[in-house]
Amino acid sequence: MDGIDSRPHGVAAFPAYLSDKATGRTVYAFDVALPGMLHGKLLRSPHAHAWIRGIDTSAALAMAGVAAVLTGRDTADLPDPFYGVGLRDQPVICTDRVRYVGDTVAAVVACDERTAFAAAEAIVVEYEPLPALMTPEAALAPEAPALFDHPAGGAMLAVGAGSTSAGEPEKNVLCEYTFGYGDVAAALAESAAVYTDSFGFTRINHFHLEPHVNVARWTGDRVEMWSCNQDPFVIRGDIARIFGLPLHNVCLHTPAVGGGFGGKSYCKMEPLVALMARRADAPVRLGLTFDESVLTSTKHAAILTLTTGVDAAGRLTARRAEIVLDGGAYADASCTTAIKTGFRIGGPYRWRAIGSRARVVRTTCVPGGSFRGFGGTQASWASERQIDMIARSRGIDPYDFRMRNFLAPGEPFAPGDSGMDSDLGAGLAEVAEQIGAALPCPPGRGRGFAVGLKDAGGTGNHAQAILKVTQGGEAILSAAVVDIGQGAAGALCRIAAETLGIAPDQVVYARIDTDHTPPDNGTHVSCGTVVTGLAVEQAARDVRRQIVEFVVTQLGCAPEAVVLDGWTARVGNHVHPLEPMIRAWYGGIGWEFIGRGAFKEPYDAAAPLRSKNMCWMPCWSAAEVTVDRETGKVTLHRLVVGADAGRAVDARACHGQIEGAAIQALSQAMFEELRYDGAVPENATPRLYRVMQTPDLPEDFRSVVAEHRMGRGPGQLKGIGEAGMLGIAAAVANAIQDATGACLTSLPFTPEKVLAALDAADSRAE
Amino acid sequence: MSTQLSFRVNGTMHCLTVANELTLADLLRDQLSLTGCKVGCDQAVCGACTVLVDGRPVAACATFAFMAEAADIVTIEGLSSTGRLDPVQQAFLEAGAIQCGYCTAGMVLSVHALLRRCSDPDDATIRAWLEAHVCRCTGYAAILDAVRLAARYLHQEAA
Repeated sequence: MDGIDSRPHGVAAFPAYLSDKATGRTVYAFDVALPGMLHGKLLRSPHAHAWIRGIDTSAALAMAGVAAVLTGRDTADLPDPFYGVGLRDQPVICTDRVRYVGDTVAAVVACDERTAFAAAEAIVVEYEPLPALMTPEAALAPEAPALFDHPAGGAMLAVGAGSTSAGEPEKNVLCEYTFGYGDVAAALAESAAVYTDSFGFTRINHFHLEPHVNVARWTGDRVEMWSCNQDPFVIRGDIARIFGLPLHNVCLHTPAVGGGFGGKSYCKMEPLVALMARRADAPVRLGLTFDESVLTSTKHAAILTLTTGVDAAGRLTARRAEIVLDGGAYADASCTTAIKTGFRIGGPYRWRAIGSRARVVRTTCVPGGSFRGFGGTQASWASERQIDMIARSRGIDPYDFRMRNFLAPGEPFAPGDSGMDSDLGAGLAEVAEQIGAALPCPPGRGRGFAVGLKDAGGTGNHAQAILKVTQGGEAILSAAVVDIGQGAAGALCRIAAETLGIAPDQVVYARIDTDHTPPDNGTHVSCGTVVTGLAVEQAARDVRRQIVEFVVTQLGCAPEAVVLDGWTARVGNHVHPLEPMIRAWYGGIGWEFIGRGAFKEPYDAAAPLRSKNMCWMPCWSAAEVTVDRETGKVTLHRLVVGADAGRAVDARACHGQIEGAAIQALSQAMFEELRYDGAVPENATPRLYRVMQTPDLPEDFRSVVAEHRMGRGPGQLKGIGEAGMLGIAAAVANAIQDATGACLTSLPFTPEKVLAALDAADSRAE
Repeated sequence: MSTQLSFRVNGTMHCLTVANELTLADLLRDQLSLTGCKVGCDQAVCGACTVLVDGRPVAACATFAFMAEAADIVTIEGLSSTGRLDPVQQAFLEAGAIQCGYCTAGMVLSVHALLRRCSDPDDATIRAWLEAHVCRCTGYAAILDAVRLAARYLHQEAA
């Protein structure tokens, strides 16, 4: 605790990683400073699409304090200077062409940021503009130029039974994923009614408050980086591949991360910063401005067209989905996003047949990347909106319609996949009770429900953990889950403490660096408490086993006779404190029991994603609104959002995750959007880009942490970090329709859009 | 161009010569190693860099260092310098109002300023006051709880 007494007001002590955030002591990547460190700045493209015909760096290089100026030419000797997840098409720095406003054209290293900034401004670039392709429609037009002349490196991600995946199937299409089972055409033909609707999903930015920051330092052929990234081992692999280094010559340090939400997932500018440091022959820090961070990655805009059948008894029959995602200029996590959107389109319901196709179209916009619940957010918005519209059209209460069609606990989501591990009906009933559905809606108000769903835990995911425990029972837990604010460090320490039978504050979470920390696949897909949690549990069991073995050798008793209780060993009626026993035997500095744990979910070709899903993540949402008929302004009076933690290891942290995600989703539903004016971003700066703040909150906002005890994690827990994103937008739109009849099919619900929908509803009524 | 300044930070007097274009945030972070002052948007929108200047919350990213002349400045480091969490910090921890923590220092200082002006703020006052801040992690509900809890703790201390 660094001498801080954290309980003067009488409640609990807090782990240092939390209390240090309250006292300002936490070191973020933003704060890292090395001796002799120089500073970088980037020159970015003002054009959406252009050839680079020439770059004159002479004026910049002549400036006092400038150590290096890098352009695409500096990547010529790198063995593989591209990155991306699956398909790799993003250059470390642009070589001959820029593909969006904000693309990196040149990089300067100088003695300080202002000199670097001035030098970047002094670089003269000659561009030859090419047509901007700002929408998937424009990029798919026959006359549109191809955005890439050569095939991307890497490969499209592999999938399992019932799914197909293909990379670059046609011009300006990055990838295509299809998923299905059953005979969709026959099931739709036999349906009592079939509905086709299209839904628009908008582009938003993560708006993490700490912009992207990286520091790199070379020592000979070895590079160390201090990165705000949430995927240290992914970045280690990318840097090694791009520079042709063995993995052990790359070390990623992960200081505290000031918000991520996916925006700090996967490779971003880390290879460029490493290159800048190598060229300058000095440690280099590149801290992006907030404006630059906004131009780094976004959530995928999308259009989803759903054709859905329902039988005479009000049961869903089949769904066909045609999904087009705007991938922006480069692949980033688009391949995964296509898969996750197409796979999740059926939502939490039972179907006879599903047939979906998701395509990512390349455009000249900010690259679409990982964003909390990606795929699930797009799919849940469209699906839950249409489910409500169908119910209303059939004269069925939308709440009852959902209840009638939910998957039962244990029922597979799709053939070959795992069973539903939440009680979907119980979850919906709970949020309905919380919003007061037992009573009629107050006059003029409307209520809406939605149940989003996504898979969680990752595909064939794995993780390892090391737990070191001293003779005094002080434990140090080492794993690669990055605590980006979601409370992963605290939850994993609690899992270790529970298994060891010691107090949670006796376990500290070790700093992460890839030289010492056991690896994982990155902090994604709400996997930390489940996948890494299982590895941590196993490591703690390994320590227990070693302690019992030690006690057996010391006391000459049978292993079954040893009961570990607190930090003592009880044998029969005798209690033996462990510390003196361990000290007496080992002497010297004492001893550490070092436990190891590992978890790997096997691949399974019979499952649609090539591995059975580990957890299902429902988001039960309920909203109550009024709509001003004159202005179109929507007032959200009540919002209830629930998710299933399986078992809540830390209930307060679970509420925090659900609420934080829900307000991000609400922000997108009500007004937030990264907009373009022609080829130029219109509001890619914090003064113009609005996110939800305290005056925007609903009057009554509450979260529900369900504990359905069906999870696969330690003690039946499940991941919960992304859940709150999934159902909110649809619940609000469904409430607007309930209040007014206005049928919204695209985000955000601005007064203009609501007025237009009200007018359309009125003309339908006439 | 530079200016000679005298000012107090967390109770300690400093006399420094600073460049005229230096911001207060850079002065605190780079010259006084007070890195608890976090720079986020760098445009006085997000509130992460908030410090107290003569008791008033200001965005250090958008304040020139020379404006600190003769000022009494409190940063997050000044609140727990006695080795004890102060009531607002404690309330933020207890209410679960801290996730990534990047906004926390600015929020805590701003709440101090609020509770000094208004010891028992109602919900509307709290929401309006915190409009100067963005928290992208928590959804704000826990932060509103923390402010109410902090008000209670300060009352208890005063009693």
